Amino acid sequence: MAKQKREFKIFTIVEYEQEQEYLRTQHKNGWKLVHLTFPGIYLFEACESEDVVYQLDYHKEGLGSQDSYVQMFKDCGWEYLFDFMGYSYVRKSVACMQGDEEIFCDENSRIDFITRVFKGRLVPLIFLFFLIIIPQTILQVSNLQSDPAHRTLFVVYLILFAIYLYIFIRFGLQYRKLKQRR
Amino acid sequence: MDAHIRKVYVPMTETGFYILLCLQQEMHGYSIVQKVKELTDSEILLSPGTMYGSLSKMEKDGLICFVREEEKRKIYKITSLGLEVLNKEQERIARLYRTMKEVQ
Repeated sequence: MAKQKREFKIFTIVEYEQEQEYLRTQHKNGWKLVHLTFPGIYLFEACESEDVVYQLDYHKEGLGSQDSYVQMFKDCGWEYLFDFMGYSYVRKSVACMQGDEEIFCDENSRIDFITRVFKGRLVPLIFLFFLIIIPQTILQVSNLQSDPAHRTLFVVYLILFAIYLYIFIRFGLQYRKLKQRR
Repeated sequence: MDAHIRKVYVPMTETGFYILLCLQQEMHGYSIVQKVKELTDSEILLSPGTMYGSLSKMEKDGLICFVREEEKRKIYKITSLGLEVLNKEQERIARLYRTMKEVQ
């Protein structure tokens, strides 16, 4: 059996470009992606070093079960790997490409992609943010004086608040970037 | 043709235009990719993500319809609404071309 390794890495919702680059670099270094488990444990298998482009698509329901989806990618030379939280992972060797190839060939479909991510992943986060994170952060501020447990909670919520804000801003910037490119 | 269709498809993307153009005959996604490649001397290479997204969207909006599945490939064809949109787009492109020639 080929040698395997695990790496833990977190990419936020909109960092799919960084994730794609990360996977491509791993493959160049002789590690091909085999599996991904929550929250971000990447399982790689030793392989020949090769320049392989990795791409992510997003459909809320996940499309691995859709034979026609997998088949179309296969026909176009893309190997479908698996679905993870609605994201479908595919890859294609640069040697098999005609010029630069991506799974999206126009800006409209890239915007459609990020809109699907927005609806599927970001909208639930926005609900959490307004219904839990903000009220809890405010509540903990008013309890700050009382005891250390509340102080800890306050810090936890403040960190969550910051992470959420970071994700929202990153998403907004990415969306603007795509819109401007169109 | 309602406001939504007009907003999204008039004018339409190059990908959308080629899909409708090809689907005047029954075809599956990958055969559209091949056909467009052939028609444009490999100038335009449609990608599977774009293709899948466009086909799903157009099917939802009633511009094309699913006919049957063959060897895991979904075959579609254009609807009367799709044909209406395609004709409108062809007229627009023809006008654009005429104007361009006149100005030159």
